Amino acid sequence: MNSFFKEYFDRVIFFSVLSLAGIGLLSIYSATFDAYEGRDFFRQLMWVGVGFVSMMTMMLLPLRWLQRNALRIFFASLSLLLLVLVVGKRVYGSQSWLGFAGLGIQPSEFVKISTMLALASFLSQSDVKATDLKDLVKTSAIVALPIGLIMLQPDFGTAMTFLAMYIPVLYWAGASKFLIIIIIAPAFVAAASVFGTTPFLIVLILLGIGLYILRDENRFFATLVFGTNVVIGFFVQIVYNKLPLYQQKRISTFLDPNNDPLGAGYNVIQAKVAIGSGGLLGKGFMRGTQTQLSFIPKQWTDFIFCVPGEEFGLLGGIVVLGLFAVLLFHGVRLASIAKNKFGSLLAIGFTSLFTFHVFVNIGMSVGLMPVIGIPLPFLSYGGSSLVSYMMVAGLMMNVYANRKEY
Amino acid sequence: MIDDFGSADRRFVIRVILAAGFLILFARLFQLQYVNAEIYGKEAEENSIRNVPKVAIRGYVYDRKGKLLVDNRPSYTVVLTPVDFDKQYLPLLSSILSMPEEAIIDKIKLGRKYNAFIPTRIKRDISFAELSMLEEHKDKLYGVEIQMESKRSYPTSARGSHLFGYAKEISDAQLEKQKSDYQPGDIMGSTGIEAKYEQLLRGLKGFEFISQNAKGQIIGNFDNGKHDIPPIDGLDLHLAIDGDVQAMAESLLADKRGAVVAIDPRNGGIIALVSKPDYNLSLMSGTTTPEIWRSLNNDEGIPLYNRATLTRYPPGSTFKMLLALVALDKKIIDENWTITCSGSFRYGNKVFKCEHVHGRVNVVDAIHRSCNVFFYQLMLKVGLDDWSEMGKQFGFGKQTKIDITEENSGLMPDRNYYDRIHGKGKWTQGYLISLGIGQGEVGVTPLQMANYASMLANKGKFYQPHAVNTVVNKRTQRREPVKVEQRQIELSEHAWSLVREGMRRVVMEAGGTGRAARVPGIEVAGKTGTAQNPHGKSHAWFMGFAPYDNPKIAICVMIENVGYGGAFAAPIAGYCMEEFLYGEIIRNGKHPLPMEPNLPDEESVAVN
Repeated sequence: MNSFFKEYFDRVIFFSVLSLAGIGLLSIYSATFDAYEGRDFFRQLMWVGVGFVSMMTMMLLPLRWLQRNALRIFFASLSLLLLVLVVGKRVYGSQSWLGFAGLGIQPSEFVKISTMLALASFLSQSDVKATDLKDLVKTSAIVALPIGLIMLQPDFGTAMTFLAMYIPVLYWAGASKFLIIIIIAPAFVAAASVFGTTPFLIVLILLGIGLYILRDENRFFATLVFGTNVVIGFFVQIVYNKLPLYQQKRISTFLDPNNDPLGAGYNVIQAKVAIGSGGLLGKGFMRGTQTQLSFIPKQWTDFIFCVPGEEFGLLGGIVVLGLFAVLLFHGVRLASIAKNKFGSLLAIGFTSLFTFHVFVNIGMSVGLMPVIGIPLPFLSYGGSSLVSYMMVAGLMMNVYANRKEY
Repeated sequence: MIDDFGSADRRFVIRVILAAGFLILFARLFQLQYVNAEIYGKEAEENSIRNVPKVAIRGYVYDRKGKLLVDNRPSYTVVLTPVDFDKQYLPLLSSILSMPEEAIIDKIKLGRKYNAFIPTRIKRDISFAELSMLEEHKDKLYGVEIQMESKRSYPTSARGSHLFGYAKEISDAQLEKQKSDYQPGDIMGSTGIEAKYEQLLRGLKGFEFISQNAKGQIIGNFDNGKHDIPPIDGLDLHLAIDGDVQAMAESLLADKRGAVVAIDPRNGGIIALVSKPDYNLSLMSGTTTPEIWRSLNNDEGIPLYNRATLTRYPPGSTFKMLLALVALDKKIIDENWTITCSGSFRYGNKVFKCEHVHGRVNVVDAIHRSCNVFFYQLMLKVGLDDWSEMGKQFGFGKQTKIDITEENSGLMPDRNYYDRIHGKGKWTQGYLISLGIGQGEVGVTPLQMANYASMLANKGKFYQPHAVNTVVNKRTQRREPVKVEQRQIELSEHAWSLVREGMRRVVMEAGGTGRAARVPGIEVAGKTGTAQNPHGKSHAWFMGFAPYDNPKIAICVMIENVGYGGAFAAPIAGYCMEEFLYGEIIRNGKHPLPMEPNLPDEESVAVN
């Protein structure tokens, strides 16, 4: 029995996910108990239960069946997204919720999973090459569809997570570094040019070096790409300078939240104070003054990391970071040891998804990243995201169980 | 490189990225929680951080001579930070501010919804007595603060109610739409220039972060003010408006219902825009009581309604130039074509009347003496299509896109319109005859009429009418002229000169109906009109421009329910043009107030 478990049950994922969910529950309990008499805690506890069942279900689904039906699942989930646009509720300025039997459901969370299934299923076909232009167009279409629909809501943060999944998957599937640079360079160049001329030049120089090293494919093309990026940078700068002041402010606030002490920047400053005041060992459970006094509005959703940071200090922070590190490095290993391409791609895609969420969310709480409203997996308050991430974990466990099958 | 899928190489790259990310996050945590723990720890245990909004000064508004028209005056606002306020002192606060407790609770709730840690406005523009009472009870009213703000004031006699418009506290509906840009209680332009140029005028609010101890005493700036953001003042607007002409037009219209719009035909700048009755903008700055709103909304003169851009009346005889221009340009007639006016015109079994028996008239005479019969016949010769096409080219039937506020697009009837109303083939030429003298379905706004006058003055050049000439950034000294749409109607010089000569005679020569618009020493051209009103006395029009040879001002005056244009509207136009061109009233050295019509009030010709 023990060896059977060892063979088919991914204990690393199982325990790291449950530990993270547990820390999340404690944090929500601590942050909301005073104000809401534990209502949010019990709600989240229920969601952890639902998530656990979903995780186990996903682990037990036949992987080949998922692979064969991935496209059908994908399109079915897209129709849910369309439904959101037609009948969805507006929460915090974007229309991404479906009211469903009294519970809010955010289909975009589940579309991440179905998109990854479709992407992996497509790329694992024997005649598909990630380097082939025709297939590249097809994969980008798979990703562009949900991104387009989500941008209509509009929910920029969620839309970005799709790219965060897509690019590493392409890379894993064999796309050249050159191609990856071509895809991601314009975003960096555009952002840098908004910041000013120096950052713009630095990014350009880095891009130049990168393209020079990888130029073996085609010198002319490399030059062309470089030139295009220079043009993009100048173009963005010109357009930005022509924008009305308040729109400029919106963009610069997004890139650097310290510019907006009223909204996002206020949270960031308070979050830094909460985390910083935790010190080495924290103030103790339920004793965080900042989190108890609810100095950080809505900290149990996007700024949840402040709670362990304040109450358990650096130690708490390291535990959370450590658990995520275990999960993510394990995900990369899983992608390497899985013998079938479908499973391998799922593992790398889902690992990238988690990575993006963890780095952006925690980075935001410690003031290193733009304030993008995306949750911290397993910890943030919210049913849809928790259940969907536990489903993802279940699928990764599924890949582990089937890792030896071709 | 054929099968590079998941190679060890790639795995390595991904692991390096992961490791780097975790390392950066760890380093940052270490910095915040160990290296800087002193700063943040003390900060968090003893103090709370407040952010105090620093209001930006709303942009100033100047007229074309640089005179300040819209100013800011300091005012004190009571603000309250929801999380800090002790509810047991609500009755105290309520009695000091003489505000019902529920009203205060509503404001607090609204603020709480937005952000409970940021002060929200409770009452704007409080009196000195209220201010000192608040200071006295400061120890109890923790979380209640006084903020210096500014409110609009209007230093000149130009009221500009519909032109400047007012800015008021943002409504809940607006706030919902623009949550990221505004806070409850923020001021937002609501009408007129204040609304159209809101984004330029408002500037950007700044913030100061201060540390407070548990007793609410301010310890100092948080983190040495490193996070503070200074406010950026709003941009100033320099208008094409001449404040003196605006004030004069307002006073001349004081007891009337009507509108004056004057445009600079050289660039489309609005020199004056008046709608009467109007209201006192000062009532709208600071707090506007419900009583004021009620009285404005219930006033039968509808003072909030901008007659200059929203009323739609038939243009009357002022439209005769339009018809003459088409006919001359298309060579349907020339200056020698004449008709004989016998005082009426019969078409089928209907009789269309003229004011007088004009005898033999050519096109210039017909404009000069406003002969209806000439234009009845001419309309039949020209036909609907060319006429309505020309009307549209002059901007009728569509919005001018003025930078002030909503406007009516008016109605320029065409073939489609008649087909829709009467059915295809079910209408005859007879329907068109009264259009020739600007009666019937055609409807224009005073603004469109002023624009028409301007295009007659500059021979067909359309400039998008604009009140604002230049946007000025005091800080950077950058001056940016507003961009204006332009187009040109190409008509023969011959047509322009005959029609404009007719207009000149209307004012300058005996027998003209617009003689009351004369300005000493300057040749004026114009045309009067009477908009028939089925409900009462006709509406009076005058439109024109001056100086004739080198027009600098084009103007339209419309007065409701008084009768003839020549008697009521023309003299007002004359005074306004005089003020603009000379910078003062030079005739007899007398200011024209109060004014009596200097032509007898003829009985209105209103026909059914």
